[in-house]
Amino acid sequence: MAAVRRYDILDTPPDGAYDRVAALAARLFEVPVATVTIVDEDRIWFKAAHGLEGVSEIGRDPGLCASAVLTDDTTVIPDTLLDPVACSNPLVAGPMGVRFYAAAPIITADGYRLGTVNVLDTRPREISEADSATLADLAAVVRDQMELRLSALRVVRAEQERRKVEQERRQAEEEARQRAERDKAAIAAFASTLQRTLVPPVLPAVPGLELACHYKTASPQEVGGDFYDVFPVGGDRWAFFLGDVCGKGAEAASVTSLTRYTLRAAALVDADPTAALNALNTALLLDAAVGTRFCTAIFGVLDPVRDGGFTVTLATGGHPPAYHLCPTEEGGVRVEAARAKGGMLVGAFAEAAFASRTLHLAPGQGLLLYTDGLTEARTADGHMLDDTGLMDFLAHRPAPVSAGSLIDGTVALLDTLPDTERDDVALLALSVPTADAAPAGITTTVHSAAAPTADVSVAQENRRP
Amino acid sequence: MTDAFHIDVPHTDGTLAVIALSGDFDIAAAPAVRGRALELISGGHPDLVADLAGVTFCDSSGLGALVGIWRCAKDADGSLTLAAIPDRLGRLLSVTGMDTLLPAYPSAQAALAARPSNRTTA
Repeated sequence: MAAVRRYDILDTPPDGAYDRVAALAARLFEVPVATVTIVDEDRIWFKAAHGLEGVSEIGRDPGLCASAVLTDDTTVIPDTLLDPVACSNPLVAGPMGVRFYAAAPIITADGYRLGTVNVLDTRPREISEADSATLADLAAVVRDQMELRLSALRVVRAEQERRKVEQERRQAEEEARQRAERDKAAIAAFASTLQRTLVPPVLPAVPGLELACHYKTASPQEVGGDFYDVFPVGGDRWAFFLGDVCGKGAEAASVTSLTRYTLRAAALVDADPTAALNALNTALLLDAAVGTRFCTAIFGVLDPVRDGGFTVTLATGGHPPAYHLCPTEEGGVRVEAARAKGGMLVGAFAEAAFASRTLHLAPGQGLLLYTDGLTEARTADGHMLDDTGLMDFLAHRPAPVSAGSLIDGTVALLDTLPDTERDDVALLALSVPTADAAPAGITTTVHSAAAPTADVSVAQENRRP
Repeated sequence: MTDAFHIDVPHTDGTLAVIALSGDFDIAAAPAVRGRALELISGGHPDLVADLAGVTFCDSSGLGALVGIWRCAKDADGSLTLAAIPDRLGRLLSVTGMDTLLPAYPSAQAALAARPSNRTTA
């Protein structure tokens, strides 16, 4: 039966080749009916039938085909009524009244008998040995036809299999590509979320103060070693800091993050600037992952003064001085470096010491904090802007000092410098508006070296009434 | 526009080694300086004199390398002494407070002369 299935010929449409064999057999033997049958488990299927219109299969009753397929030799029953088994076959006993039956088995090359080539007559008759041989030859023709079909079928199946494998391969590739796309999108989303924890936050609105900042990174990921923050520390006091972690890019950004959160947490416990830098120094030295990373920072606390302005307490940890801009009576601006003597690098030495000093930020005055990306920027002649260049620039700012215009002017100055390998730059400006000036507000500009033209203005509208 | 950076070790004597730097001591040069210095320290020369006469520029990465070298030297019971500090680097050391921790001399010769002589034969 497996062999029948292998040749895949059951229930297939009539095939011209088998029909011709049946017709040839009928003509050669001068019989009314000739068939090519395939014997299935429970039925005999007429692959081709000459003289048996409308019959495609019969039951597997013993006597004729069902018996003939059980032997390798040609079966000849000259008179079915005289045969003890065939006489009760429906074809014999039924309306067809078959009296003569001869069949040759269709035997495959590997010995399986698939069915038979049959000739039937309604009259008894004898056939010669030569006729038997002819019938066997016809069965062999059918066998050859099937073998041909089988090999063609194998080619087709192999091709189908190859196509299926190819299609599966393509599908697998497509799925892998889509998975990669999804992974990439997930990683990008993750990186973007992480990045938001690394870049400085939007500045808050501080009553009586104008704040402005600028942040530009040298890394295309827009994370860097510069940081700043302004946040409330209880009551009507505010704290701010700005600093620079040694190094650039993602590695520096991880230290930046630790630094920012440590300073914020420390200030909530003790809003003394020196204590905050001491806490950061300890945290950076204890952090094994941070290793030899350290930073420079300025940390300040703002106490509002009753008659306007703020008392600013500044502590410096190895950071270049903040500049205090005071308009003079002559209409100019006096620039003072707000140094706190003895402030050392933060996170580099266990024995680091930090000191603080206070200054009064009066209405009309401003304070500029910056990272060395500003002072180390090179001018057209190849020299660094340096402290002297910056102080000279600041002395020419208009009075009264406005944090927004101070940042705008400083960014404009940076933009005129031809340096292509600029470091990260962070700027933070504070100013106290004069009584007659426009209300205080916040200006933020964010710049990335990856998109130098994208001078995005953030929270520009975040102005207080 | 950036000077080629050079690291030389012109002199070693017992636990002492002079490491002479020239060129821009920046993020590109810092790892090599740190690596060479740590080799000297682990190679039995934990007392380093950094001759900075040829340093044309030093940024925070250069400073970071000096901090790292100073720590490793200290861990090995050694020291880091600076010699011939250029003006700008001097200001940077002052701003960062490092001038209070690292002894400095006008030249490598002066730094060597100031060392206790008994260490060189130890």
